[in-house]
Amino acid sequence: MENINLKPSSNDDPGDVIIPEIFEDKITHSVINNFFVEVTSLTIFTLRFFKELFKPPYEFNELMKQSFLIGYRSLPLVAITGFIIGLVLTIQSRPTLAKFGAESWLPAMVAVSIIREIVPVITALIFAGKVGSGIGAEIASLNVTEQIDAMQVSCTNPFKYLVVTRVLSATFMLPVLVVFADIIGLLGSFVGVNIKGNVSPYLFFSQIFQTLEFIDMFPAFIKTFFFGFAIGIIGCYKGYTSFKGTEGVGKAANSSVVFGSLMVFIIDMIAVQITSFFQN
Amino acid sequence: MTPSSTSAIIETDLRPDNLIVIKMAHIKKSFGGNKVLEDINLLLNKGENLVILGKSGTGKSVLIKCIAGLDVPDSGQLDILGKDISKLNEKELTGIHKKIGFLFQSGALYDSMTVRENLEFPLKRQQDSISKEKLESMVKEALLDVGLIETIDLSPSELSGGMRKRLGLARTLILRPEIMLYDEPTTGLDPITSKEISNLILTVQKKYNTSSIIITHDINCTRLTADRIIVIKDGICAAEGTYSDLKNSEDEWIKSFFE
Repeated sequence: MENINLKPSSNDDPGDVIIPEIFEDKITHSVINNFFVEVTSLTIFTLRFFKELFKPPYEFNELMKQSFLIGYRSLPLVAITGFIIGLVLTIQSRPTLAKFGAESWLPAMVAVSIIREIVPVITALIFAGKVGSGIGAEIASLNVTEQIDAMQVSCTNPFKYLVVTRVLSATFMLPVLVVFADIIGLLGSFVGVNIKGNVSPYLFFSQIFQTLEFIDMFPAFIKTFFFGFAIGIIGCYKGYTSFKGTEGVGKAANSSVVFGSLMVFIIDMIAVQITSFFQN
Repeated sequence: MTPSSTSAIIETDLRPDNLIVIKMAHIKKSFGGNKVLEDINLLLNKGENLVILGKSGTGKSVLIKCIAGLDVPDSGQLDILGKDISKLNEKELTGIHKKIGFLFQSGALYDSMTVRENLEFPLKRQQDSISKEKLESMVKEALLDVGLIETIDLSPSELSGGMRKRLGLARTLILRPEIMLYDEPTTGLDPITSKEISNLILTVQKKYNTSSIIITHDINCTRLTADRIIVIKDGICAAEGTYSDLKNSEDEWIKSFFE
C-alpha cells in the first residue's frame, strides 16, 4: 500500500487541517489547471465580444438603457466617494506638508494625487463593487431562470443583447464617472483646505491648473477605459458562464467583484509602468 | 406498442416528406463523459402532438433543446421542416428556428419587463417594421388566447405559476410557430391548472395547426394531449405507441409510467 505522508506532523496544533501530501499535490494541480482553463475561456469570451461588436444588428436602445443604469445611477455614490477622498486626503496631508513649511503646495499635491491615481482607482473599485457585481448577478440569474435560452429561441442573440451592451456601457461610463469624481474630489479638497485656512477658489484652482500637466491627466483618463472594460467583461463572463442554481448567482456576483477589482490593480500597475516609460 | 427506435425510421420511408416536420436519426449527445442521448430516432408528423416520457435525467429536455438550437448534437442527422440543419448556414438556421416555439419549464419570462413588454420583445425583434397598432392587436390576441388579457400591465412576479406558464405560451405563440416544444408544461401545477394547460395545448394545436413535442411526467397531460407517445430509456427510444398501446403494454417498466 502507498505510504501517505501527513503534513503538518502529528505534534503540530491539533486544530490545523491536515492534508496528505498526495492530495495536496492534486489540489495544487487542480488550482493551476482551473486557473488556465479560466484564463483561456475568458480570452475566448473576450474574442467573441469583439466579433459580435461589429456584427449587425446593433442593440442601440439597450446600450442607451444600460449606459443610463450603469452611469447615471452610479453618480450619487461616486460623488460622495470623490468628495470624501478629496476632503480626507487634504486633511491628512496638511500636517506633513506643514512640517516642511510647504503648506502652500497642498492644493497642487492633492490635485495630482487625486487625478493621477486615487480617484481613478477608488472609483473603479467602487464601480466593480456596484456595477460589476450587478452585471454578474443579473446575467447569472437570467441564466438560471432560462431567460437567456428564451432570448435565443426568440431569435435574439443574447450575447449581443446582454454582453456587448453592458461591456460597452461599462467601458464608456467609467471614464465619465471618474472625471465627475475628479471634479467633486477637488471641491472636497477645497473644503478641506479651507477648514484650517482661507484660500479663495480662484487661488486654489489656479494653483492646481498651473501644476497639472497633460501627462498627469491623459494616461489617468485613458486607463479608466481599460478599467471599465475589464470590470464589464469579467462581470458578464462570470454571469454568462455561471452554474445553474441560486448558488451560481451568488458566486457570479462575488467573483465579478473579486476578479474585477484585481484586474483594476493589474491594469493600473501596467499603466503606471507605461506612463513612467514615456516620462523618462 | 411499437418497440425500439428503428420503427420510427421505417415509418419515415413510408410517409410523404411534406408530412414530416422533424426527423431525428441516430442522434447522440454527451456532456463530458456522461452519454445522455445514445441513439435517438424519432419523427414528428405535421399537426401531431408527440409526448416524450422517460425517467428524470434521461435526456428528454436535451433532446428538445437540440431541436430548438440550444444544444448541438454530437452526431446524427436532424431534419427540421425538410432541411438537414447541419448543412444550413447561420441565416438559414435562424429562419428555421423562427418557426420553432419553446415553452420552458419555468416559463422563462423576462422579469425586468411587464407582461406587455414580454410579448412585444420577440415580436419587435423578428419584425423590424411592425406598426404600433399591429403590435398592440397581436399582443392582445395572444393574451386573449391564453386568458390573461387582464394582466397586460402587471409584472411577471405578480403572476401565479399557472399564469406564468400561460404567458410563456402566449409569448411563444405570438411568433406563430409551426412547431411547438413544451418542456414539462404542467410540472409544479395543481391538477385543475394542469388540466387547463393541457387543454390549452390542444387549443393551440387546433387553432394554429402546430406540430408539438411535449416532454412531461404528468400522465393526465399525456392522456389528454398525446396523439403518439415515445418512451426514452438509457438514451434511446425504447417504446412507441398511442396512449392505450403503452398503457396496455406487457412491459412492466413501461406500464409503471401509467400507474
